[in-house]
Amino acid sequence: MRTVPAAARAELTKIFTLRSVWLITALVLGLHVLVNWSAMSLYRDAVDKIGPDGLIEIFTGERNPATVEMLDSLSGGSLQMTMFLPVLAVVISGQEYRSRQLGLTLLAVPQRGRLLAAKVLATTGYTLLVAVMIAAISTVFTYAEVKNWNAGLVTSPAAVRLDLAFLAYALLFSLVSMSATMVVRSTLIGVMITIALVAVTMTQILAMTAPAVDALLPMSAGRNLLLDPTLSTLSSGPRQAMLVLIAWAIVGITAAGVTLSRRDAR
Amino acid sequence: MIEISDLTKRYASTTAVDHVTFTARPGRITGFLGPNGAGKSTTLRVLLGLDVATSGSALIGGRRYRDLRLPLRTVGALLDGAGPVPDRRAIDHLTWIAQSNRIGPARVREVLDLVGLAGAARQRVRKYSLGMGRRLGIAAALLGDPEVLVLDEPVNGLDPDGIRWVRRFLREQAAAGRTVLLSSHLMTEMSETADDVVIIDHGRIVGHGTLQDVTGGHASLEEAFFSLTGGSTQRGSTQAGR
Repeated sequence: MRTVPAAARAELTKIFTLRSVWLITALVLGLHVLVNWSAMSLYRDAVDKIGPDGLIEIFTGERNPATVEMLDSLSGGSLQMTMFLPVLAVVISGQEYRSRQLGLTLLAVPQRGRLLAAKVLATTGYTLLVAVMIAAISTVFTYAEVKNWNAGLVTSPAAVRLDLAFLAYALLFSLVSMSATMVVRSTLIGVMITIALVAVTMTQILAMTAPAVDALLPMSAGRNLLLDPTLSTLSSGPRQAMLVLIAWAIVGITAAGVTLSRRDAR
Repeated sequence: MIEISDLTKRYASTTAVDHVTFTARPGRITGFLGPNGAGKSTTLRVLLGLDVATSGSALIGGRRYRDLRLPLRTVGALLDGAGPVPDRRAIDHLTWIAQSNRIGPARVREVLDLVGLAGAARQRVRKYSLGMGRRLGIAAALLGDPEVLVLDEPVNGLDPDGIRWVRRFLREQAAAGRTVLLSSHLMTEMSETADDVVIIDHGRIVGHGTLQDVTGGHASLEEAFFSLTGGSTQRGSTQAGR
Protein backbone atom coordinates (compact mmCIF):
# COMPACT_ATOMS: atom_id res chain seq x y z
CA MET A 1 0.00 0.00 0.00
CA ARG A 2 3.06 2.28 -0.10
CA THR A 3 2.02 3.59 -3.47
CA VAL A 4 -1.36 4.85 -2.22
CA PRO A 5 -0.03 8.23 -0.96
CA ALA A 6 1.60 8.93 -4.35
CA ALA A 7 -1.62 7.96 -6.15
CA ALA A 8 -3.71 10.08 -3.75
CA ARG A 9 -1.41 13.05 -4.38
CA ALA A 10 -1.87 12.57 -8.12
CA GLU A 11 -5.65 12.45 -7.63
CA LEU A 12 -5.52 15.68 -5.62
CA THR A 13 -3.52 17.32 -8.42
CA LYS A 14 -6.22 16.20 -10.85
CA ILE A 15 -8.85 17.82 -8.64
CA PHE A 16 -6.98 21.09 -8.14
CA THR A 17 -6.15 21.45 -11.84
CA LEU A 18 -9.68 21.01 -13.11
CA ARG A 19 -11.42 24.30 -13.88
CA SER A 20 -14.93 22.95 -13.39
CA VAL A 21 -14.04 21.99 -9.80
CA TRP A 22 -12.91 25.55 -9.06
CA LEU A 23 -16.01 26.96 -10.71
CA ILE A 24 -18.44 24.79 -8.75
CA THR A 25 -16.55 25.40 -5.50
CA ALA A 26 -16.72 29.17 -6.06
CA LEU A 27 -20.43 28.95 -6.91
CA VAL A 28 -21.24 26.87 -3.81
CA LEU A 29 -19.30 29.15 -1.46
CA GLY A 30 -20.61 32.30 -3.15
CA LEU A 31 -24.19 31.08 -2.93
CA HIS A 32 -23.74 30.17 0.73
CA VAL A 33 -22.45 33.66 1.54
CA LEU A 34 -25.30 35.24 -0.41
CA VAL A 35 -28.01 33.17 1.31
CA ASN A 36 -26.56 33.87 4.76
CA TRP A 37 -26.11 37.55 3.98
CA SER A 38 -29.70 37.95 2.85
CA ALA A 39 -31.06 36.23 5.97
CA MET A 40 -28.73 37.94 8.44
CA SER A 41 -30.85 41.01 9.14
CA LEU A 42 -33.92 38.82 9.79
CA TYR A 43 -32.06 36.75 12.39
CA ARG A 44 -30.25 39.75 13.90
CA ASP A 45 -33.51 41.61 14.42
CA ALA A 46 -35.09 38.51 15.95
CA VAL A 47 -32.10 38.02 18.27
CA ASP A 48 -32.33 41.68 19.37
CA LYS A 49 -35.93 41.01 20.43
CA ILE A 50 -35.24 37.89 22.53
CA GLY A 51 -37.24 38.35 25.70
CA PRO A 52 -36.49 37.41 29.31
CA ASP A 53 -38.27 34.07 28.66
CA GLY A 54 -35.42 33.15 26.23
CA LEU A 55 -37.81 32.70 23.30
CA ILE A 56 -37.15 33.99 19.80
CA GLU A 57 -39.64 34.74 17.03
CA ILE A 58 -37.99 34.28 13.63
CA PHE A 59 -41.24 33.84 11.75
CA THR A 60 -44.39 35.59 12.90
CA GLY A 61 -46.30 33.59 15.49
CA GLU A 62 -43.57 30.94 15.93
CA ARG A 63 -41.83 31.43 19.28
CA ASN A 64 -39.13 28.88 20.14
CA PRO A 65 -36.23 28.65 22.59
CA ALA A 66 -33.56 30.97 21.17
CA THR A 67 -30.59 28.65 21.73
CA VAL A 68 -32.31 25.75 19.96
CA GLU A 69 -33.52 27.99 17.12
CA MET A 70 -30.15 29.61 16.47
CA LEU A 71 -28.30 26.27 16.57
CA ASP A 72 -30.87 24.92 14.13
CA SER A 73 -30.23 27.93 11.91
CA LEU A 74 -26.48 27.22 12.08
CA SER A 75 -26.82 23.61 10.99
CA GLY A 76 -29.75 24.21 8.63
CA GLY A 77 -27.74 26.78 6.67
CA SER A 78 -24.90 24.33 6.13
CA LEU A 79 -27.35 21.51 5.38
CA GLN A 80 -28.75 23.44 2.40
CA MET A 81 -25.32 23.59 0.81
CA THR A 82 -24.74 19.84 1.07
CA MET A 83 -27.10 19.50 -1.86
CA PHE A 84 -24.24 20.86 -3.98
CA LEU A 85 -21.24 19.07 -2.44
CA PRO A 86 -22.21 15.65 -3.87
CA VAL A 87 -22.45 17.29 -7.31
CA LEU A 88 -18.89 18.50 -6.82
CA ALA A 89 -17.88 14.92 -6.00
CA VAL A 90 -19.60 13.75 -9.20
CA VAL A 91 -17.61 16.25 -11.29
CA ILE A 92 -14.36 15.17 -9.59
CA SER A 93 -15.12 11.51 -10.19
CA GLY A 94 -16.63 12.00 -13.65
CA GLN A 95 -13.51 13.56 -15.15
CA GLU A 96 -12.22 10.00 -15.69
CA TYR A 97 -14.90 9.40 -18.29
CA ARG A 98 -14.15 12.54 -20.31
CA SER A 99 -11.71 11.83 -23.16
CA ARG A 100 -11.42 8.32 -21.70
CA GLN A 101 -8.91 9.53 -19.13
CA LEU A 102 -9.64 6.39 -17.10
CA GLY A 103 -7.29 4.47 -19.42
CA LEU A 104 -4.42 6.81 -18.57
CA THR A 105 -5.25 6.66 -14.87
CA LEU A 106 -5.14 2.87 -14.90
CA LEU A 107 -1.85 2.90 -16.79
CA ALA A 108 -0.43 5.01 -13.97
CA VAL A 109 -2.08 3.07 -11.13
CA PRO A 110 -3.12 -0.36 -12.43
CA GLN A 111 -3.95 -1.87 -9.02
CA ARG A 112 -7.66 -1.13 -8.72
CA GLY A 113 -7.77 -1.32 -4.93
CA ARG A 114 -4.99 1.24 -4.59
CA LEU A 115 -6.60 3.50 -7.16
CA LEU A 116 -9.93 3.35 -5.36
CA ALA A 117 -8.25 4.08 -2.01
CA ALA A 118 -6.45 7.05 -3.61
CA LYS A 119 -9.67 8.38 -5.10
CA VAL A 120 -11.54 8.06 -1.80
CA LEU A 121 -8.71 9.83 0.05
CA ALA A 122 -8.43 12.67 -2.46
CA THR A 123 -12.19 13.21 -2.78
CA THR A 124 -12.50 13.09 1.00
CA GLY A 125 -9.72 15.65 1.37
CA TYR A 126 -11.17 18.12 -1.13
CA THR A 127 -14.78 17.69 -0.03
CA LEU A 128 -13.75 18.12 3.57
CA LEU A 129 -11.92 21.33 2.69
CA VAL A 130 -15.02 22.80 1.02
CA ALA A 131 -17.31 21.52 3.81
CA VAL A 132 -15.08 23.15 6.43
CA MET A 133 -15.33 26.43 4.50
CA ILE A 134 -19.13 26.10 4.41
CA ALA A 135 -19.23 25.40 8.14
CA ALA A 136 -16.91 28.36 8.76
CA ILE A 137 -19.15 30.70 6.74
CA SER A 138 -22.23 29.49 8.64
CA THR A 139 -20.38 30.01 11.93
CA VAL A 140 -19.22 33.54 11.03
CA PHE A 141 -22.72 34.66 10.03
CA THR A 142 -24.35 33.03 13.06
CA TYR A 143 -21.76 34.72 15.29
CA ALA A 144 -22.55 38.06 13.68
CA GLU A 145 -26.24 37.44 14.47
CA VAL A 146 -25.88 36.31 18.09
CA LYS A 147 -22.77 38.17 19.32
CA ASN A 148 -24.77 40.75 21.30
CA TRP A 149 -26.88 38.06 22.97
CA ASN A 150 -24.70 34.93 23.37
CA ALA A 151 -21.29 35.25 21.67
CA GLY A 152 -20.22 31.85 22.96
CA LEU A 153 -23.05 30.00 21.20
CA VAL A 154 -21.07 29.19 18.04
CA THR A 155 -18.24 27.60 20.04
CA SER A 156 -20.49 25.76 22.50
CA PRO A 157 -20.25 21.93 22.61
CA ALA A 158 -23.67 21.69 20.95
CA ALA A 159 -22.54 23.88 18.02
CA VAL A 160 -19.27 21.97 17.63
CA ARG A 161 -21.21 18.68 17.63
CA LEU A 162 -23.46 20.02 14.87
CA ASP A 163 -20.45 21.18 12.82
CA LEU A 164 -18.82 17.76 13.13
CA ALA A 165 -22.08 16.04 12.20
CA PHE A 166 -22.36 18.32 9.18
CA LEU A 167 -18.82 17.49 8.06
CA ALA A 168 -19.50 13.76 8.43
CA TYR A 169 -22.73 14.05 6.46
CA ALA A 170 -21.20 16.17 3.68
CA LEU A 171 -18.31 13.76 3.35
CA LEU A 172 -20.35 10.55 3.37
CA PHE A 173 -22.98 11.80 0.92
CA SER A 174 -20.20 13.03 -1.39
CA LEU A 175 -18.56 9.61 -1.30
CA VAL A 176 -21.89 8.05 -2.24
CA SER A 177 -22.17 10.34 -5.29
CA MET A 178 -18.54 9.75 -6.23
CA SER A 179 -19.09 5.99 -6.10
CA ALA A 180 -22.34 6.15 -8.07
CA THR A 181 -20.52 8.05 -10.83
CA MET A 182 -17.79 5.40 -10.92
CA VAL A 183 -20.41 2.68 -11.24
CA VAL A 184 -22.40 4.34 -14.04
CA ARG A 185 -19.28 5.88 -15.65
CA SER A 186 -20.98 9.12 -16.57
CA THR A 187 -20.95 12.59 -15.00
CA LEU A 188 -24.43 13.35 -16.32
CA ILE A 189 -26.00 10.18 -14.91
CA GLY A 190 -24.06 10.71 -11.65
CA VAL A 191 -25.57 14.20 -11.35
CA MET A 192 -29.04 12.82 -12.13
CA ILE A 193 -28.72 10.13 -9.44
CA THR A 194 -27.58 12.74 -6.91
CA ILE A 195 -30.41 15.11 -7.80
CA ALA A 196 -32.92 12.25 -7.57
CA LEU A 197 -31.66 11.33 -4.09
CA VAL A 198 -31.94 14.97 -3.00
CA ALA A 199 -35.32 15.51 -4.65
CA VAL A 200 -36.96 12.52 -2.97
CA THR A 201 -36.07 14.01 0.42
CA MET A 202 -36.87 17.61 -0.50
CA THR A 203 -40.37 16.80 -1.75
CA GLN A 204 -41.13 15.20 1.66
CA ILE A 205 -43.36 12.65 -0.07
CA LEU A 206 -41.71 9.64 1.60
CA ALA A 207 -41.38 11.49 4.91
CA MET A 208 -45.16 11.86 5.00
CA THR A 209 -46.16 8.49 3.55
CA ALA A 210 -43.39 6.09 4.62
CA PRO A 211 -41.06 7.68 7.19
CA ALA A 212 -39.21 4.40 7.80
CA VAL A 213 -38.20 4.31 4.12
CA ASP A 214 -37.47 8.03 4.09
CA ALA A 215 -35.03 7.51 6.98
CA LEU A 216 -32.96 5.24 4.72
CA LEU A 217 -32.23 7.97 2.14
CA PRO A 218 -28.90 9.81 2.43
CA MET A 219 -30.21 13.38 2.45
CA SER A 220 -33.03 12.44 4.82
CA ALA A 221 -30.37 10.91 7.06
CA GLY A 222 -28.44 14.17 6.90
CA ARG A 223 -31.53 16.13 7.87
CA ASN A 224 -32.24 13.68 10.71
CA LEU A 225 -28.64 14.03 11.87
CA LEU A 226 -28.48 17.83 11.84
CA LEU A 227 -31.89 19.30 12.59
CA ASP A 228 -33.58 19.59 15.97
CA PRO A 229 -36.59 17.25 16.42
CA THR A 230 -38.46 19.91 18.38
CA LEU A 231 -38.40 22.27 15.38
CA SER A 232 -38.60 19.85 12.42
CA THR A 233 -40.41 16.62 11.64
CA LEU A 234 -37.70 13.95 11.40
CA SER A 235 -37.93 10.33 10.32
CA SER A 236 -35.22 8.94 12.61
CA GLY A 237 -32.82 9.79 15.41
CA PRO A 238 -29.23 10.97 14.85
CA ARG A 239 -27.65 7.58 15.63
CA GLN A 240 -29.68 5.75 12.99
CA ALA A 241 -29.05 8.62 10.56
CA MET A 242 -25.29 8.25 10.96
CA LEU A 243 -25.49 4.49 10.48
CA VAL A 244 -27.55 4.98 7.31
CA LEU A 245 -24.96 7.38 5.88
CA ILE A 246 -22.06 5.07 6.71
CA ALA A 247 -23.91 2.13 5.13
CA TRP A 248 -24.57 4.12 1.92
CA ALA A 249 -20.90 5.08 1.69
CA ILE A 250 -19.67 1.52 2.30
CA VAL A 251 -22.09 0.00 -0.21
CA GLY A 252 -21.27 2.70 -2.78
CA ILE A 253 -17.49 2.38 -2.46
CA THR A 254 -17.74 -1.42 -2.61
CA ALA A 255 -19.83 -1.22 -5.78
CA ALA A 256 -17.34 1.23 -7.31
CA GLY A 257 -14.48 -1.12 -6.42
CA VAL A 258 -16.24 -4.10 -8.00
CA THR A 259 -16.98 -2.08 -11.15
CA LEU A 260 -13.38 -0.90 -11.40
CA SER A 261 -11.96 -4.42 -10.98
CA ARG A 262 -14.37 -6.43 -13.06
CA ARG A 263 -15.17 -4.21 -16.03
CA ASP A 264 -12.82 -3.30 -18.86
CA ALA A 265 -11.56 0.28 -18.68
CA ARG A 266 -13.56 1.55 -21.64
CA MET B 1 10.51 -8.53 -23.01
CA ILE B 2 6.83 -8.71 -23.87
CA GLU B 3 5.29 -12.18 -24.04
CA ILE B 4 1.77 -12.68 -25.32
CA SER B 5 0.75 -16.30 -24.94
CA ASP B 6 -2.42 -17.92 -26.29
CA LEU B 7 -4.35 -14.73 -25.55
CA THR B 8 -8.08 -14.66 -26.21
CA LYS B 9 -10.54 -11.85 -25.58
CA ARG B 10 -14.25 -12.25 -26.20
CA TYR B 11 -17.04 -9.67 -25.96
CA ALA B 12 -20.37 -11.48 -25.73
CA SER B 13 -20.47 -13.44 -29.00
CA THR B 14 -17.59 -11.59 -30.69
CA THR B 15 -14.02 -12.86 -30.45
CA ALA B 16 -11.79 -9.79 -30.74
CA VAL B 17 -8.52 -11.63 -30.08
CA ASP B 18 -8.23 -15.32 -30.82
CA HIS B 19 -5.36 -17.36 -29.32
CA VAL B 20 -2.72 -14.74 -30.08
CA THR B 21 0.89 -15.60 -29.30
CA PHE B 22 3.99 -13.52 -29.99
CA THR B 23 7.03 -12.04 -28.32
CA ALA B 24 8.58 -8.56 -28.51
CA ARG B 25 12.26 -8.73 -27.65
CA PRO B 26 14.59 -6.17 -26.08
CA GLY B 27 16.75 -4.18 -28.46
CA ARG B 28 14.25 -4.49 -31.30
CA ILE B 29 11.23 -2.65 -32.58
CA THR B 30 8.33 -5.02 -33.04
CA GLY B 31 5.68 -3.73 -35.41
CA PHE B 32 2.14 -4.89 -34.71
CA LEU B 33 0.24 -4.56 -37.96
CA GLY B 34 -3.37 -5.11 -38.85
CA PRO B 35 -6.38 -3.47 -40.42
CA ASN B 36 -8.76 -1.43 -38.27
CA GLY B 37 -10.72 -3.74 -35.98
CA ALA B 38 -8.22 -6.60 -36.36
CA GLY B 39 -7.57 -6.81 -32.61
CA LYS B 40 -4.39 -4.71 -32.25
CA SER B 41 -5.72 -2.25 -29.70
CA THR B 42 -7.55 -4.96 -27.76
CA THR B 43 -4.34 -6.99 -27.49
CA LEU B 44 -2.46 -3.93 -26.25
CA ARG B 45 -5.23 -3.04 -23.79
CA VAL B 46 -5.08 -6.54 -22.29
CA LEU B 47 -1.27 -6.31 -22.17
CA LEU B 48 -1.58 -3.00 -20.30
CA GLY B 49 -4.12 -4.33 -17.82
CA LEU B 50 -7.01 -2.21 -19.07
CA ASP B 51 -9.08 -5.10 -20.36
CA VAL B 52 -9.35 -8.52 -18.78
CA ALA B 53 -8.31 -11.49 -20.94
CA THR B 54 -10.83 -14.27 -21.45
CA SER B 55 -7.91 -16.71 -21.45
CA GLY B 56 -4.16 -16.75 -21.98
CA SER B 57 -1.59 -14.35 -20.66
CA ALA B 58 0.17 -11.10 -21.53
CA LEU B 59 3.35 -10.44 -19.58
CA ILE B 60 5.96 -7.70 -19.44
CA GLY B 61 9.27 -8.86 -18.02
CA GLY B 62 7.48 -11.97 -16.78
CA ARG B 63 4.85 -10.02 -14.83
CA ARG B 64 1.32 -8.84 -15.47
CA TYR B 65 1.09 -5.07 -15.92
CA ARG B 66 -1.38 -4.93 -13.03
CA ASP B 67 1.29 -6.36 -10.73
CA LEU B 68 3.87 -3.64 -11.44
CA ARG B 69 4.17 -1.37 -8.41
CA LEU B 70 5.27 1.83 -10.16
CA PRO B 71 4.50 0.74 -13.74
CA LEU B 72 5.53 3.90 -15.57
CA ARG B 73 9.14 3.30 -14.51
CA THR B 74 9.03 0.00 -16.43
CA VAL B 75 6.52 0.55 -19.23
CA GLY B 76 5.68 3.67 -21.21
CA ALA B 77 2.45 3.43 -23.16
CA LEU B 78 0.55 5.51 -25.63
CA LEU B 79 -3.06 4.49 -26.12
CA ASP B 80 -5.16 5.38 -29.11
CA GLY B 81 -8.40 6.98 -27.90
CA ALA B 82 -7.46 7.67 -24.27
CA GLY B 83 -6.46 11.25 -23.65
CA PRO B 84 -6.21 14.05 -21.14
CA VAL B 85 -9.18 16.13 -19.99
CA PRO B 86 -9.26 19.04 -22.49
CA ASP B 87 -9.67 21.67 -19.71
CA ARG B 88 -6.38 20.73 -18.11
CA ARG B 89 -3.03 22.31 -18.99
CA ALA B 90 -0.47 19.97 -20.52
CA ILE B 91 1.99 20.49 -17.68
CA ASP B 92 -0.69 19.66 -15.10
CA HIS B 93 -1.63 16.54 -17.03
CA LEU B 94 1.96 15.29 -17.01
CA THR B 95 2.41 16.36 -13.38
CA TRP B 96 -0.38 14.13 -12.02
CA ILE B 97 0.89 11.19 -14.05
CA ALA B 98 4.43 11.76 -12.75
CA GLN B 99 3.28 12.13 -9.15
CA SER B 100 1.38 8.84 -9.31
CA ASN B 101 4.66 7.02 -9.95
CA ARG B 102 6.91 9.21 -7.79
CA ILE B 103 8.60 10.87 -10.75
CA GLY B 104 9.95 14.35 -10.03
CA PRO B 105 8.82 17.60 -11.69
CA ALA B 106 12.20 18.02 -13.42
CA ARG B 107 11.42 14.97 -15.56
CA VAL B 108 8.10 16.56 -16.60
CA ARG B 109 10.00 19.54 -18.00
CA GLU B 110 12.54 17.21 -19.63
CA VAL B 111 9.95 15.20 -21.55
CA LEU B 112 8.08 18.33 -22.61
CA ASP B 113 11.34 19.63 -24.00
CA LEU B 114 12.10 16.28 -25.62
CA VAL B 115 8.82 16.21 -27.59
CA GLY B 116 9.01 19.89 -28.46
CA LEU B 117 6.12 21.07 -26.29
CA ALA B 118 8.05 23.15 -23.74
CA GLY B 119 6.66 26.37 -25.19
CA ALA B 120 3.08 25.10 -25.07
CA ALA B 121 3.28 23.44 -21.64
CA ARG B 122 0.90 25.92 -19.99
CA GLN B 123 -1.70 25.79 -22.73
CA ARG B 124 -4.91 23.91 -22.13
CA VAL B 125 -4.99 20.64 -24.01
CA ARG B 126 -8.20 21.68 -25.80
CA LYS B 127 -6.09 24.20 -27.75
CA TYR B 128 -3.67 21.53 -28.95
CA SER B 129 -3.64 20.28 -32.53
CA LEU B 130 -3.90 16.53 -33.19
CA GLY B 131 -0.14 16.32 -33.61
CA MET B 132 0.53 18.22 -30.38
CA GLY B 133 -1.84 15.89 -28.56
CA ARG B 134 0.12 12.92 -29.91
CA ARG B 135 3.40 14.47 -28.75
CA LEU B 136 1.86 14.99 -25.31
CA GLY B 137 0.87 11.32 -25.23
CA ILE B 138 4.42 10.32 -26.16
CA ALA B 139 5.76 12.65 -23.45
CA ALA B 140 3.55 10.87 -20.90
CA ALA B 141 4.88 7.50 -22.09
CA LEU B 142 8.46 8.68 -21.60
CA LEU B 143 8.01 10.10 -18.10
CA GLY B 144 9.40 7.08 -16.26
CA ASP B 145 12.29 6.55 -18.71
CA PRO B 146 10.91 3.02 -19.19
CA GLU B 147 12.60 -0.14 -20.44
CA VAL B 148 9.54 -1.10 -22.47
CA LEU B 149 7.53 1.11 -24.83
CA VAL B 150 4.07 0.15 -26.04
CA LEU B 151 2.78 2.64 -28.57
CA ASP B 152 -0.58 2.43 -30.31
CA GLU B 153 -0.57 4.40 -33.58
CA PRO B 154 2.06 6.89 -32.36
CA VAL B 155 2.47 8.81 -35.63
CA ASN B 156 -1.23 9.46 -36.24
CA GLY B 157 -1.67 13.18 -36.73
CA LEU B 158 2.03 13.98 -36.69
CA ASP B 159 3.60 16.15 -39.38
CA PRO B 160 6.58 14.79 -41.39
CA ASP B 161 9.03 16.28 -38.89
CA GLY B 162 7.18 14.61 -36.04
CA ILE B 163 7.08 11.27 -37.83
CA ARG B 164 10.79 11.43 -38.48
CA TRP B 165 11.41 12.36 -34.87
CA VAL B 166 9.35 9.40 -33.60
CA ARG B 167 11.14 7.03 -35.97
CA ARG B 168 14.60 8.20 -34.89
CA PHE B 169 13.60 8.19 -31.26
CA LEU B 170 12.29 4.62 -31.40
CA ARG B 171 15.46 3.49 -33.18
CA GLU B 172 17.54 5.08 -30.42
CA GLN B 173 15.42 3.40 -27.77
CA ALA B 174 15.82 -0.02 -29.38
CA ALA B 175 19.55 0.57 -29.87
CA ALA B 176 19.78 1.24 -26.13
CA GLY B 177 18.39 -2.26 -25.51
CA ARG B 178 14.78 -1.29 -24.84
CA THR B 179 11.77 -3.27 -25.98
CA VAL B 180 9.52 -1.36 -28.37
CA LEU B 181 6.10 -2.66 -29.43
CA LEU B 182 4.58 -0.43 -32.06
CA SER B 183 1.05 -0.81 -33.36
CA SER B 184 0.11 0.77 -36.66
CA HIS B 185 -1.80 0.30 -39.86
CA LEU B 186 0.67 2.45 -41.85
CA MET B 187 2.76 0.03 -43.93
CA THR B 188 5.41 2.43 -45.19
CA GLU B 189 6.03 3.76 -41.72
CA MET B 190 6.26 0.28 -40.28
CA SER B 191 8.62 -0.98 -42.99
CA GLU B 192 10.99 1.89 -42.21
CA THR B 193 10.85 1.47 -38.46
CA ALA B 194 10.29 -2.15 -37.41
CA ASP B 195 12.83 -4.94 -37.00
CA ASP B 196 10.22 -7.61 -36.38
CA VAL B 197 6.64 -7.70 -37.59
CA VAL B 198 3.51 -9.34 -36.22
CA ILE B 199 0.45 -9.25 -38.48
CA ILE B 200 -3.01 -9.74 -37.03
CA ASP B 201 -6.27 -10.07 -38.91
CA HIS B 202 -9.73 -10.89 -37.55
CA GLY B 203 -8.16 -11.44 -34.13
CA ARG B 204 -5.66 -14.06 -35.31
CA ILE B 205 -1.94 -13.84 -36.01
CA VAL B 206 -1.48 -14.45 -39.71
CA GLY B 207 2.25 -13.77 -39.92
CA HIS B 208 5.20 -12.96 -37.73
CA GLY B 209 8.97 -12.87 -37.88
CA THR B 210 11.71 -10.44 -38.83
CA LEU B 211 10.80 -7.79 -41.39
CA GLN B 212 12.90 -9.65 -43.95
CA ASP B 213 11.19 -12.97 -43.21
CA VAL B 214 7.69 -11.51 -43.50
CA THR B 215 8.37 -9.52 -46.66
CA GLY B 216 10.38 -12.37 -48.26
CA GLY B 217 8.96 -13.22 -51.69
CA HIS B 218 6.93 -9.99 -51.81
CA ALA B 219 7.70 -6.62 -53.36
CA SER B 220 7.03 -4.75 -50.12
CA LEU B 221 5.61 -5.09 -46.62
CA GLU B 222 2.31 -3.82 -48.01
CA GLU B 223 2.21 -6.65 -50.56
CA ALA B 224 3.11 -9.18 -47.87
CA PHE B 225 0.43 -7.75 -45.59
CA PHE B 226 -2.34 -8.07 -48.15
CA SER B 227 -1.16 -11.47 -49.20
CA LEU B 228 -1.35 -12.66 -45.60
CA THR B 229 -4.64 -10.96 -44.76
CA GLY B 230 -6.31 -11.80 -48.07
CA GLY B 231 -7.07 -8.12 -48.81
CA SER B 232 -6.80 -6.39 -52.18
CA THR B 233 -4.03 -3.97 -53.14
CA GLN B 234 -6.65 -1.31 -53.80
CA ARG B 235 -7.94 -1.60 -50.24
CA GLY B 236 -4.33 -1.53 -49.16
CA SER B 237 -3.59 1.71 -50.95
CA THR B 238 -6.55 3.34 -49.23
CA GLN B 239 -5.54 2.13 -45.81
CA ALA B 240 -1.86 2.86 -46.18
CA GLY B 241 -2.71 6.36 -47.26
CA ARG B 242 -4.73 7.16 -44.14
